[in-house]
Amino acid sequence: MIFRIFRKELLDTLRDRRTLMTMLVIPILVFPITLNVFMEISNSFQESASAETMKIGIVGDQSQRYTQQLENIPAALGPKKIIVFKDSASLITAIEADQIQLGLLIPANAQELGAQQQTITLNWLLDASEVGRAERAELYSSSLKANAEAERLQKLGLRPEQIRPLVVSTVNCASDKKMVGQLAGGFLPYIFIAFGFIGCMYPAIDLFTGEKERGTIETLLTVPVLRWKILIGKMMVVVCSGMLAASCALMGLFISIEFLDLADNKELLEVIHSILTPYFILSMFALLLPLVIFFAGLMIPIAIYAKSFKEAQSIITPLNIVVVLPSMVGFFPGVALDLNTVFIPVINVVLATKELIAGTLSLSYFLSVFGIMCSLAFLAIAISYKQFGKEANILS
Amino acid sequence: MISVQNLHKTFALTKQQRKELNTEAKTATAVSDLSFSCQPGRIYSLLGPNGAGKTTTLRMLATLITPTSGQIFINGINALEQPQEARKHIGFLTGSTGLYARLTPLEIIDYFADLYQVSPKDREERKAYLFDLLNMNDFLHKRIGKLSTGMKQKVSICRTMIHDPSVVIFDEPTSGLDVITAENIIKLIRSCKDQGKTVIFSSHIMSEVDLLCDDLAIIHKGQLKFNDTMSAFRANMVTNNLTEEFIRIVQMPTQLA
Repeated sequence: MIFRIFRKELLDTLRDRRTLMTMLVIPILVFPITLNVFMEISNSFQESASAETMKIGIVGDQSQRYTQQLENIPAALGPKKIIVFKDSASLITAIEADQIQLGLLIPANAQELGAQQQTITLNWLLDASEVGRAERAELYSSSLKANAEAERLQKLGLRPEQIRPLVVSTVNCASDKKMVGQLAGGFLPYIFIAFGFIGCMYPAIDLFTGEKERGTIETLLTVPVLRWKILIGKMMVVVCSGMLAASCALMGLFISIEFLDLADNKELLEVIHSILTPYFILSMFALLLPLVIFFAGLMIPIAIYAKSFKEAQSIITPLNIVVVLPSMVGFFPGVALDLNTVFIPVINVVLATKELIAGTLSLSYFLSVFGIMCSLAFLAIAISYKQFGKEANILS
Repeated sequence: MISVQNLHKTFALTKQQRKELNTEAKTATAVSDLSFSCQPGRIYSLLGPNGAGKTTTLRMLATLITPTSGQIFINGINALEQPQEARKHIGFLTGSTGLYARLTPLEIIDYFADLYQVSPKDREERKAYLFDLLNMNDFLHKRIGKLSTGMKQKVSICRTMIHDPSVVIFDEPTSGLDVITAENIIKLIRSCKDQGKTVIFSSHIMSEVDLLCDDLAIIHKGQLKFNDTMSAFRANMVTNNLTEEFIRIVQMPTQLA
């Protein structure tokens, strides 16, 4: 009988355009569209910034040495035009008015310092809020620094390695998989949790508050079916919607990476492919299923209590922030699954999924998180059942 | 058959409700010490003004809500101890009963037939009979949301009768319906009587009661003011018409009624 109720409610839900939008269409399209738009905009900004002719104002280059060096930098690294200014005040005014994009201040005693083999300090003046300015200044600085160093070494008759007795480098022993897990692993559970919650929201309101609003609840409760069976049948649809929305969001993300070339790094793609094994997907669903049941169990008592769709929506929407915000903890480095965090719902799933991606999740922690979330899901079902049994809640 | 003994129902009042009703009381009594019985093959009418306790009484009979005290027997089954068993014998229809707008009449009827565990053979026979009787065949595959009020009412009737209940409860079934649509309900109530079913319906319209009922109960502020046959009601009238008599009884102090 539970399955019969589930079938009917699923059919009813799948015919609701609003639910379909939040359950299937938006999750599938959100990543391909937003990432594509983001990449397009970002690329177009970068292209326009690198193609922009930078007017470089120079003050104090009495020997024309730096002007000459800047002129010699190939135009392929960005077009430029050099203008000499008499003083820094007029240069700053020109930068503020965007007549000049980069300003280079050379100290008056630069030649003297050079002759004495002292350090010469050059200052770039720029509007850092404009895209590409700081990057272009950095590019020119590297070239000027390399020239100065080579010149000074030549004067001293030294080779570069003579003044560089020690080179210290770091070798990362972590696997690429672990690195991806630690750096980007927080993103995956965040998506799943956010969309899992949103996916549950409309069906929960529609199947409980909506049934009260439409006046169908009276008829349903007079049939010879136990109320817990009706509740479970409906709840299964809410959970399925949440899982489906979350899965669609992941599918959308996968489509973006795989087919829209949004991650054009081959090594990264290989790591992603090595992570997405059937074992990983099954384990992740095992962690997330009780979490989505828990979400459904949080929403259903509210949906049962609310007298109208609007009232239910106005209570559940802020709950979204309360539930989804903790899932951002996965983005913070240093927060790990331990004997404390394992007991915190939502956060424990995020951290366990992160470790699952990195391949460092131990079986005991996996079972602990699964067990704790199952207990909470059971508690949420019990609360829902208690609310569903209250006469004041089911009849308006 | 329906047998009701000393039925009592009180509701807890929320702070908001207490404020609205301007009372300090923590509970409100909707139904007080109600006893009556409805016989098979007869139509029992529960008549009373708005807020008299008719809907609460019928909801208790339909096992939607639980009485605070008292007993309800549906075909001899104790509805408080065995509500699942009692529900199998009950068909419940209200004027405000909604239907699932995104489903078709056929899907709704099949769904309720499954919930009532009607056997496939009985289901097909009853569907054929009811679809013909109510002239529903033309719109069986259209979504409920696209149907007229009259068509929806036919679907509601069909849904109520698909398990062939022996006890049928109608809560203000014609409320808000036009005369043509209401006529379907009147026909259904008469047809139930002819089939020997136990029928109870509530109304606040005396003319409707006069048209249909064999036995009459007048209820006011949760208390029974009159409980006898319709012919006895007519025979003992002290006013000129049925409506005036109904108003007289309702306004009479309880001990004199």
